[in-house]
Amino acid sequence: MKKMLAIARWEYIEKVKSKAFLIGLLVTPLLMAGMGFLPMLFVSQEDKNTKRIGIVDESGEVAAAFSQRMGGYTLADGRPNFSVRVIGSGADVNDDTFKRANRMVVEDEIEGYVVIGETLSAGNILCEYRSKAGGDVWVGSRAEETLRQLVTERRVIALGLDTRLLKELDVKVDLRTVKVSQTGEKEEAGFMKVFFSSFAFMMMMFFLIATSGQLLVRSVIEEKSNRIIEVLVSSCTPTELMAGKVLGLSGLGFTQLGFWGLIGLAITFQTGTAIITPGNALLLVVYFILGYLFYSAIFIAAGSALNTEQEAQQVNSYLIILLVIPIMLALPAMKDPNAVWLRVLTFIPVFTPTMMALRIPIQSPAGWEIASTIGLMILAIYGAMVMAGRIFRIGILATGKTPGIAVLVRWVRTG
Amino acid sequence: MLTVSHLRKEFDTVVAVDDVSFEVRRGQIFGLLGPNGAGKTTTIRVVLNILEADGGQVLFDGKPFSKTLRGGVGYLPEERGLYKKSKLLDTVVYLGELRGMSRPKARDAALRWLTRLELADQAGRRLQEFSKGNQQKIQFVAAVMHDPDLVILDEPFSGLDPVNQELFKGILLELKQGGKAVIFSTHQMEQAEKLSDDLCLINRGRVVLQGSVRDVKRRHGSNTLAVEFEGDGAFLETLPGVRRAILYGNQAELQLDDHPRLRELVAVINERVELRSFELREPSLQSIFLEVVGGVRAGQQEAAV
Repeated sequence: MKKMLAIARWEYIEKVKSKAFLIGLLVTPLLMAGMGFLPMLFVSQEDKNTKRIGIVDESGEVAAAFSQRMGGYTLADGRPNFSVRVIGSGADVNDDTFKRANRMVVEDEIEGYVVIGETLSAGNILCEYRSKAGGDVWVGSRAEETLRQLVTERRVIALGLDTRLLKELDVKVDLRTVKVSQTGEKEEAGFMKVFFSSFAFMMMMFFLIATSGQLLVRSVIEEKSNRIIEVLVSSCTPTELMAGKVLGLSGLGFTQLGFWGLIGLAITFQTGTAIITPGNALLLVVYFILGYLFYSAIFIAAGSALNTEQEAQQVNSYLIILLVIPIMLALPAMKDPNAVWLRVLTFIPVFTPTMMALRIPIQSPAGWEIASTIGLMILAIYGAMVMAGRIFRIGILATGKTPGIAVLVRWVRTG
Repeated sequence: MLTVSHLRKEFDTVVAVDDVSFEVRRGQIFGLLGPNGAGKTTTIRVVLNILEADGGQVLFDGKPFSKTLRGGVGYLPEERGLYKKSKLLDTVVYLGELRGMSRPKARDAALRWLTRLELADQAGRRLQEFSKGNQQKIQFVAAVMHDPDLVILDEPFSGLDPVNQELFKGILLELKQGGKAVIFSTHQMEQAEKLSDDLCLINRGRVVLQGSVRDVKRRHGSNTLAVEFEGDGAFLETLPGVRRAILYGNQAELQLDDHPRLRELVAVINERVELRSFELREPSLQSIFLEVVGGVRAGQQEAAV
């Protein structure tokens, strides 16, 4: 017991000082913040300078009005957003017009040009925005909106109606999604918020397990390759050694979790909105611990069976796929949080913790699901630890060829 | 102190240790000798319970190995390595703790030993910055700092400069005087000859020679002629009456027939080279080693044919 604590202490202190740990500790929240804020930055990316665009109006009917209206949009500082010049209109539009327009784009005389189709009278009207970038949604949507207004007005006038009707007919629908939690309370749940928190928790679990998993594997491999393992094993039992390592690394996990928790609290107090309820947070912590212990066993078994850092990286990347799968399922899970396949996956121990991290913020799973997955995880952890212990005992002293699956199975059987 | 009887350890296809028995008493330095790959390290690993024996018994003061015994044993493994990124003092204290010392005690002992080995002023440096020889000294500290009754050192002298070899030797003799049992393995016979009280020579997993150094030498007779000369001594091997010659440049150790004609032999040698000195004495362990191990090998080759 004393030795186990000494090992745990050593593992904790040596690893907490390591670069890998510090990077994991700091980068994860930054990454998460980045993923949360970057899309917002893109969405609200307004133009900073006046854009020069052209127009080719094949219908020959709206070029002037279009230019005028487009010119009406202003930038934040009051300057016009667009300066529009008519490249061709009506009958004088031919192949040369487009060639000229294209050349102007290529030579950066204009950023792009809007093409309005030949007919505005019936059905859908054609409107294109051609530019170097090809995907300037901002200009495109402004052009589309402007054209739609223009044509609608023209049609209203053509029908002999008053254009003031348009204002009357315009309906704005304000869509809000509201989540009903188990206690029956209403809870405002913007898609972004739920998605972000689900995603954040999965990423946290992913990074938590992946960083400490790597550290665990590395520490075992280092001891194996420098043969200090012989001194260790002649000083204490393999069980003490393994238990000490898992304990020390768990301390590391808690440090990480605690640090992130503080960041989360800080954000909560700053913004006044909690991304998770205290009850769910507690539940998540439970799954974090379970997942952590389960994967510790797997990583320690891997580390003791392997001989080199390179092999470890390879095996690590396979193990990490197991953690990544639920992250890839985040979007479909948001659409249908009750899907059967989602529930089934939750019951597979390698996925349970991450799946729960995904599901809990979206919709709290049923009580029986929580109880049974926790029970299952405890059994799985026990099994994995026993198995890892057997592989560890033999593996740490084995040298030479890296064992295949068959050999590992034999170790587990005879252990 | 330590009784090893009929120890056996097999790996997939090889018998690495085959029926090895020996005894080590307190206040004794015990040399475990043998050529590379003889099974010395495997024997040590089995004794230390790092590997499980396939047969035989290891008793410490009459009792089988147990958890509590670990604190009474110190071990310097043959393949040396330390935590590269960790600091000297931290690591040594940790290894002391693993042997069952309390933290403060481990710290005291670590500082005392590091001071003695002139490493104390570098206690805060990372281990990867130390030379190989110094790393060996650090691991040596880890093997003795907890004042164990039994110290097992696997090739303790390899890679050390003469100054440090003397330092180690001094400490080993001190341990012996302090009533500890010391086992060290080596394939350098000179070290073994100078240091050990008892020895056990292993070849191909089997004990081929055993006993006190004096007994072993006596058993191999005293008809060894040590000569010192100037010139090319290659011919010494072919002289009549010389069973075997070990040449060291300007010196040679000649193993003679049972009834050597010493006077004639010396005269012949003196004719061919300039003889500086000659002495009839007990064979060195080196020559016994070569004879026994070489003989076994030759015997096995014959048997194979």
